[in-house]
Amino acid sequence: MKRVITLGILIIICFVLQTALFPFIEIADVTPNLLLILTVSFGLMRGRREGMLVGFFCGFLYDVYFGYTIGFYMLIYMLIGYCNGFFHRLYLVEDVLLPIIIILLDDFVLNFATYVIFFMMRNRIELGNYMRQIMIPDMIYTALLTLFIFKLLVLINRTLKRWEKGSE
Amino acid sequence: MKRNKKHFEITPKYILLFLTILCVVLMVLSLFFEGMFLSVRNLTNSFIEPMQKGVNGVGRWFENKAEALENYETLEAENEALREQLELYQTQITNYQLDSYELERLRNLYELDAQYSDYPKTAARVIAKDTGNWFDVFYIDKGTKDGLQNGLNVLYGNGLCGIITETGEDYAKVRAIIDDTSNVNAMVLPSEAICNVSGSLTNYTDGYLIAENIDKDADIEEGDEVVTSYVSNKYLSGLLVGYVSRMEYDSNNLTKTAYITPAADFSNIQEVLVITQEKKTITE
Repeated sequence: MKRVITLGILIIICFVLQTALFPFIEIADVTPNLLLILTVSFGLMRGRREGMLVGFFCGFLYDVYFGYTIGFYMLIYMLIGYCNGFFHRLYLVEDVLLPIIIILLDDFVLNFATYVIFFMMRNRIELGNYMRQIMIPDMIYTALLTLFIFKLLVLINRTLKRWEKGSE
Repeated sequence: MKRNKKHFEITPKYILLFLTILCVVLMVLSLFFEGMFLSVRNLTNSFIEPMQKGVNGVGRWFENKAEALENYETLEAENEALREQLELYQTQITNYQLDSYELERLRNLYELDAQYSDYPKTAARVIAKDTGNWFDVFYIDKGTKDGLQNGLNVLYGNGLCGIITETGEDYAKVRAIIDDTSNVNAMVLPSEAICNVSGSLTNYTDGYLIAENIDKDADIEEGDEVVTSYVSNKYLSGLLVGYVSRMEYDSNNLTKTAYITPAADFSNIQEVLVITQEKKTITE
């Protein structure tokens, strides 16, 4: 139960930070994707189930606010969380490289899906431009932020684990 | 089966399947019934919005401080240069004042319609922005309570900024004209050539909006004003969109395309003005 509440609060905090604070710190017109970091981290640390659920609710919030159709980002974030669960077995607490590589991949998948659904379908086909101006800066920025946020989330996860052990 | 009842859990695979179906159903529903999820948003918004406002304040404070520090030296130099300019301008102002008296007189003569400064307006604060990098949509802190409704035009600085696409009790969603899905029917002054100004993500990073479908023979020069046209059924006429900065002939040899520098600076929008008058009420 504690875990559910903590995760709920984390998701809301990340969403609020991303919508209200991050527009102030954008570099080169690009802002990092905190919700994705959250989804990926929990998928990696806790496995498929939690990654999937965290992704689902992150996507839900995003869709309710900014989505053109409710459900699209829900689906993508959920799938990303779920797929990251498969890397749970490879995950080591000290390892920083794995999360970075995975987040780069995921961010690319997320952006590419957005591009295909919302842009390519409207006949905007200059993929190279979009790559250069949006996808790659976004990937780099998000990956850099992951370095810091991930450590924090690992700490939170550890505390949660200790609590759960204590209550059993 | 040794499953303990307490630890009984459905495998993630099935949850995934179930949630995927749920997502697809929601997608289809939201495609066909727009506005169905308005109540959901109102609910989530009622406790997320106060937080956004608070965090926004923090962000603004940081930004102001950072700017102040960064700019201190440049400001001093700028100050000096500006002082010199000021003297120069003061003499010019007197000239302009004379001109403006004349202009006013002429305007009265022509019985020109009032400029858009006469539209009823209300100021609102930007509270949240879509940070997906792909779209330019933001939320403002006024809604139906303050008399806002869908389709109202939003100004920033001295130019058109966007249009309200959705309203809740105390918030409204604004789509900026630089959003990739935005289209504004506009005309180029003084030649009154009608064109379609569309936001374009790839071009906006270079600082341009695109005006398409301008007649090939239209007499347009760099620096011409682009304003919303009287033909548009969503935007009030005569709102400044931007200035023409260069032109290209299209490959069909019938039309040309102009690159427009927007009048509003979209990089850092904080307070906007909403025109509380809809287009319809004017044409009536």
